[in-house]
Amino acid sequence: MSKKVFEINNLDLFYGDFQALSGININIENNKVTALIGPSGCGKSTFLRSLNRMNDLIDSCSITGEIEFEENNIYETGFDVINLRTKVGMVFQKPNPFPMSIYDNVAYGPRCQGIKDKKILDKIVESSLISAAIYEEVKDRLKANALSLSGGQQQRLCIARAIAMEPEVILMDEPTSALDPIATLKIEELISDLKKDYTIVIVTHNMQQAARISDYTAFFLMGELIEMDKTNKIFTQPTHQKTEDYITGRFG
Amino acid sequence: MELVNKFSTKFAQIKKRNKKEHIDIVVRMFFLISTVISASFILIIIVFISMKGIIPFITDNNGIGSVNVIRFLTGSIWLSGTAFQSNLYSVGFIIINTLYIALLSLLISLPLGVLTALFIAKVAPKKLAEFLRTVVELLASIPSIVYGLFGSGVILVFVYNFADVLGIQSKGGNSVMATVLVLSLMTLPTITAISEVSIRSVGKDIEHGSLALGASKTQTNFKVILASAKSGIFASAILGIGRALGEATAVSLVAGNAKSGPTLAFFETTSTLTSTMLEGLKETTGIDYDIRFSVGIVLMVVIMLTNVILNYIKKKVGNVDVK
Repeated sequence: MSKKVFEINNLDLFYGDFQALSGININIENNKVTALIGPSGCGKSTFLRSLNRMNDLIDSCSITGEIEFEENNIYETGFDVINLRTKVGMVFQKPNPFPMSIYDNVAYGPRCQGIKDKKILDKIVESSLISAAIYEEVKDRLKANALSLSGGQQQRLCIARAIAMEPEVILMDEPTSALDPIATLKIEELISDLKKDYTIVIVTHNMQQAARISDYTAFFLMGELIEMDKTNKIFTQPTHQKTEDYITGRFG
Repeated sequence: MELVNKFSTKFAQIKKRNKKEHIDIVVRMFFLISTVISASFILIIIVFISMKGIIPFITDNNGIGSVNVIRFLTGSIWLSGTAFQSNLYSVGFIIINTLYIALLSLLISLPLGVLTALFIAKVAPKKLAEFLRTVVELLASIPSIVYGLFGSGVILVFVYNFADVLGIQSKGGNSVMATVLVLSLMTLPTITAISEVSIRSVGKDIEHGSLALGASKTQTNFKVILASAKSGIFASAILGIGRALGEATAVSLVAGNAKSGPTLAFFETTSTLTSTMLEGLKETTGIDYDIRFSVGIVLMVVIMLTNVILNYIKKKVGNVDVK
């Protein structure tokens, strides 16, 4: 049994009166890719965003239950959210590079942590871009504006930006849904490489993608976790009828 | 019978379409006429000002002698009033005064306005933000003569006393400093309102991207939000400097209308192109009247050049070369 990074106990999440998640119990394993699947509105993105407390930005959001990250409850009062987010990075659905140079995008996170030494920053930027498999494409124009990159390149830049923080976990919220098939393939290859060093939790609408890249798959429906298991088990012999209906395309 | 019906409906359709097309043509003509009228006004104004403004340079001004163009543009003395009967009019120092004052006022109002905008857009709770937005809009709609009265009634006194404390005898407070303060007050609402809109329109996705990297709210506001809104902030600065250059009424009440210069010291009297044009405009004739139009030409050229330069810089700064 490998190490658990996240341990979620009886998580309930409300937007105002609406209960978006109920009674979620999951463990996220270290250095594995965990895919979250389910139809739109099932709460998988909400769940992902609760792992680095991005739901805090929504006024009406409230949470009960526990999410333990490295054995600390991240919803405890006084918990250092900023520190959590440096350890749990996030890649969004739509590539969202900052309107500044490629270099500055990657150096942004480390700079916010107070790293000013140019040599260290250079090294971080280079190694992050290499890890995100985009270095070869941009090494000659690090000073160019990041918005001049293509959509797929922007998304890999956003991954590089997350890697630059040397996080333990990278959360990905449908990272390829805005990209064409070739760019998608590149990101998928990248994810397979990254899991050597990082724990990855990925929300995806694409079941083939979940089957291709993940080690574990969790199936969400109507705010509940229906089933979570090894990916090949979920896709070959799911325990629940609902899971089977969903992955065979009978609904959703 | 059926055929007749078919034809009549077809005919009705054509008639209907024709009616619509007619309306289109009429409306298009209407737009064209409106455009021609408004465009020709601008042209008429420019031509008229230029024709009047050129008189002091090409006639002998009833025996006083024509004004030397080079000296007019570069000199440092302005002998106004019919009493002097001279052709010694120069705006060189006034151009410098005008740009100097506009720049100084921008140095105050731009940082203040942008920080206020940031507060309203990102920091203040919703209700307070709504209230502040209304206040800023109200400030922007106050007529300039009211700012001028406030300037001469309050700011002049303040500047006079402040200078006194420093041991400087100012001319009733009429000074560079008073002018700069009044102009800062006047440009502040414009800069705040436009910056606020551009800061507010920065995408949530970018803000969240920064927060998810472990940046604090303050870091996000200053490093990412302001950087993303810089083009709008620059636009607000351009409008602000435009107002600072073109403001006449309030400025003439606090500038002191210096007749020579340029004035760089804070507590000395100064003069701007607009205040020079305005001063005694109604009580004078001959060259002293016509020369105001020459100053008008200079002012238009200064404003146009400033706009061209600032827009060029804006393009350089805010240019994102998107594939």
